[in-house]
Amino acid sequence: MEPTLMRHKPFCDIKNLHVSFHGRTVLQKVNLTLSDSGILVLVGSSGSGKTTFLRSLNRLNEHYSGYSGGGKIELKLSGSMQDIHCPDLEVTELRRQVGMVFQTPNVLPVSIAQNINLPLKLVTGLDKAEREGRLIEVLQEVHLWDEVKDRLKENSARLSGGQQQRLCLARVLALKPKVLLLDEPTASLDFKASHKIEDLLIELQDRYQIIAVSHSLRQARKIAGQILVMKEGQIEHLLKKDQFENPEMLQKLLEDIF
Amino acid sequence: MNKLLNFGIYCWSWIATLGVFLVVGLLLFYLLSQGLPTIGKELFFGDAPAWKAILGQVRVWDALWPACVGTLFLVLIAALLAVPLGISSGIYLACFAPKSVKRILSLLVELLAGTPSIVMGLFGFAMILFLRNTFFPNANTSLLLSSVCLALLILPYLIFTTQAALESLSDEYLLIGPSLGFNQIQTVFHVLIPAAGRGILSGVVLSIGRAAEDTAVIMLTGVIANAGLPQGLLGKFEALPFRIFYLAAEYRTSAELDSAYGTALVLLSLTGILYGGAFALHKTLELRWNQH
Ligand SMILES: Nc1ncnc2c1ncn2[C@@H]1O[C@H](COP(=O)(O)OP(=O)(O)OP(=O)(O)O)[C@@H](O)[C@H]1O
Ligand SMILES: [Mg+2]
Repeated sequence: MEPTLMRHKPFCDIKNLHVSFHGRTVLQKVNLTLSDSGILVLVGSSGSGKTTFLRSLNRLNEHYSGYSGGGKIELKLSGSMQDIHCPDLEVTELRRQVGMVFQTPNVLPVSIAQNINLPLKLVTGLDKAEREGRLIEVLQEVHLWDEVKDRLKENSARLSGGQQQRLCLARVLALKPKVLLLDEPTASLDFKASHKIEDLLIELQDRYQIIAVSHSLRQARKIAGQILVMKEGQIEHLLKKDQFENPEMLQKLLEDIF
Repeated sequence: MNKLLNFGIYCWSWIATLGVFLVVGLLLFYLLSQGLPTIGKELFFGDAPAWKAILGQVRVWDALWPACVGTLFLVLIAALLAVPLGISSGIYLACFAPKSVKRILSLLVELLAGTPSIVMGLFGFAMILFLRNTFFPNANTSLLLSSVCLALLILPYLIFTTQAALESLSDEYLLIGPSLGFNQIQTVFHVLIPAAGRGILSGVVLSIGRAAEDTAVIMLTGVIANAGLPQGLLGKFEALPFRIFYLAAEYRTSAELDSAYGTALVLLSLTGILYGGAFALHKTLELRWNQH
């Protein structure tokens, strides 16, 4: 067997995915096989269906009124490929394994600690000591621990936007997901805070399969292992690393696309 | 032109706010000036010794104490019946009900909300007549019947405010629970209800006030002028709003009318205390939610 093939095993296989809301098509004819070669970055103009694509992977679209859709999605969860619509896979279990951080940070209006504790308590059933250990572990993982260790009981709404975004990420990481869906993780952040998050994602990419939406080409080039270009609800291109390593080449490719 | 309009709107909202303050202030001032001098042991207990009256060892005539206790019990029992039911119905309507069911139920709740309180009283009265003619020949109007009818009266407020508080949460907020792998029950009880707590509380406060002041319902279902302390759920009782009503309607001396003002003041304070209780309860629940 070729070594390269060993390294690039598929982790996501999508056949004929389509989604519409109130009869208006948002995603159509999405056929895709993704291999695990680093972070997958989703780019595309506003309204092209990036968020909807992410929500297809944890079946969150089903919570919106007017949703209809179909197709087959297989994800690699706990070692083997699994059909996410299979009745044997509880949707709550799927969502624990496929964690999502939204475009705007949405902390629960409770204390910093409780933001991580509540999901842990409800979803994993760990006991108090284990939960406390996990809390410290994930807050360190997202480099938030030093900033909040003295104010864990404070309301999380008092954190800055970037801190809230990292808290949301920590909240998801605490549940030990296999796949991370990040919808514009740096949307509300300044240059420096964005850099911090980008470095963090690069750190995390070995432990989690990350799919992130990005609006910035600079960011995409920095963190991506592959880039998925979306346009009007369809997959336009899947770019491999060698295709976008040269900035001019990437610029030209994207200009052709938009 | 635009500036002038802006200024006009600005002035108007000031005047309107000031107007409300003035009216409420005047009302309170008048009530205080008339009622405050009458407040004292005499008003509450008449000739009876205070401690013995409080413990129920002597009968109190022509004084407030039995009515205070009556209203307190009335409101507490009505709230005990209506609050759990109303909040649960509101949660069901906002979070679980299918669209078609929701439409029908909402219509019914609106109908209930639009029912005048005197009709609610008549309903209770008719029910007693029915029971007398069928299963319970001894059935009579009582504290329990009044509380049940009052509970019916305040139920729609509780349902509406709970439903509205839950439905005003943003789409993004609704999705936090599911995105973390919570099931629907967990999402509702651990994410949505705590966030809607303030709105739900305002419904509780509103309905307590409504239950405390209503006279029409209890007049037909068991209140009488000189019942003394309520003798159990199936006994007659006195109540503050009813006492105000008949003092004002049938006073013989101006002192009696003044004691009606005093009674109104006491009713206001009692309602205030109940509000305080509701707030305190909310605060402890909020604190509990925030801790791990
Ligand atoms: N719940 C919904 N109900 C109705 N229409 C929706 C819903 N969610 C998305 N859409 C529509 O689907 C299209 C794609 O939306 P989506 O949020 O996926 O875009 P996006 O690529 O994430 O855009 P942006 O970069 O601005 O976040 C838009 O036209 C949007 O109006
Ligand atoms: Mg989006």
